[in-house]
Amino acid sequence: MDLPAPPDVVGTSLSGSEPYVISAEENRALCRTVDAEPAADGRAHPIYYYIATQVGMGQTVAGLCEVCDFDVEVGPMMAGSKVTFSSPLMTDQPYLVEGEITSITRKKSRKLGVMDLMTYELRLTLPDKTPVLTTVNSWVLPRRELA
Amino acid sequence: MKLNVGDDLKSFVIAPVTRQSMKEWAVFLHDPNPIHLDAEVVKAKGLGEKEINQGPTNVAYIINMLHQNFPGGEIDTLDSRFLDNVYADDHAEAFGAVTGILENNSGLEVTCSIGLRVASRGDVISGTAVIRLPGD
Repeated sequence: MDLPAPPDVVGTSLSGSEPYVISAEENRALCRTVDAEPAADGRAHPIYYYIATQVGMGQTVAGLCEVCDFDVEVGPMMAGSKVTFSSPLMTDQPYLVEGEITSITRKKSRKLGVMDLMTYELRLTLPDKTPVLTTVNSWVLPRRELA
Repeated sequence: MKLNVGDDLKSFVIAPVTRQSMKEWAVFLHDPNPIHLDAEVVKAKGLGEKEINQGPTNVAYIINMLHQNFPGGEIDTLDSRFLDNVYADDHAEAFGAVTGILENNSGLEVTCSIGLRVASRGDVISGTAVIRLPGD
């Protein structure tokens, strides 16, 4: 049986409208939760690549799911996350986020049944557009209603 | 530090993964998904018996492992594939091994296989990382 096409969302902008700032206080709190020593030179924990881009993009997790015609209550699952850094992340530095959905593929999985694999790219820059990092994240959106 | 292809990296262990950490990460991520906060929701969805640790937190453990092994190094690339969940009370171990070393004008570029495993269920993340190390 042919599956219906996934939602036509490739190219949907995920660019944020407000700068994101990693506060030194939150960085210290985050480091405490993962047993890491905060850097003394103002560098943020590199996992802020994910947090800064997710929080700073123009959609919440629920909003991104809605764009993909998917109810966040069903439960999106992270499939993969890749980051390439151009420079370290710093606390108390404003960053801008640009990005878009780059692909969505509908397939049948033995474990999950019908699912969409959605991928999006986010780019973090300084306010003058100097690149800081690029991340590509993939989410699985189970489509049990199509099984 | 003399590096060789095939060297195992020193592992980084979180034991155990705590519910308090998940509550704090829900704030960091601006994502109050109840599968990270309420075991009953996890059970109702058929996803397990306990709260599910946030995926980025699991990646943070791997970053800690890389920092521990490469002091003074910078992460160039980190690519993580999520294979399974980490749950509250799990003991998680980030691990890795050197798979390639490239010398260039600015120092060394070290490629590693990386992963995260949970004692009872095996690997939950696998992937690769590239670390830049300054020259002498």
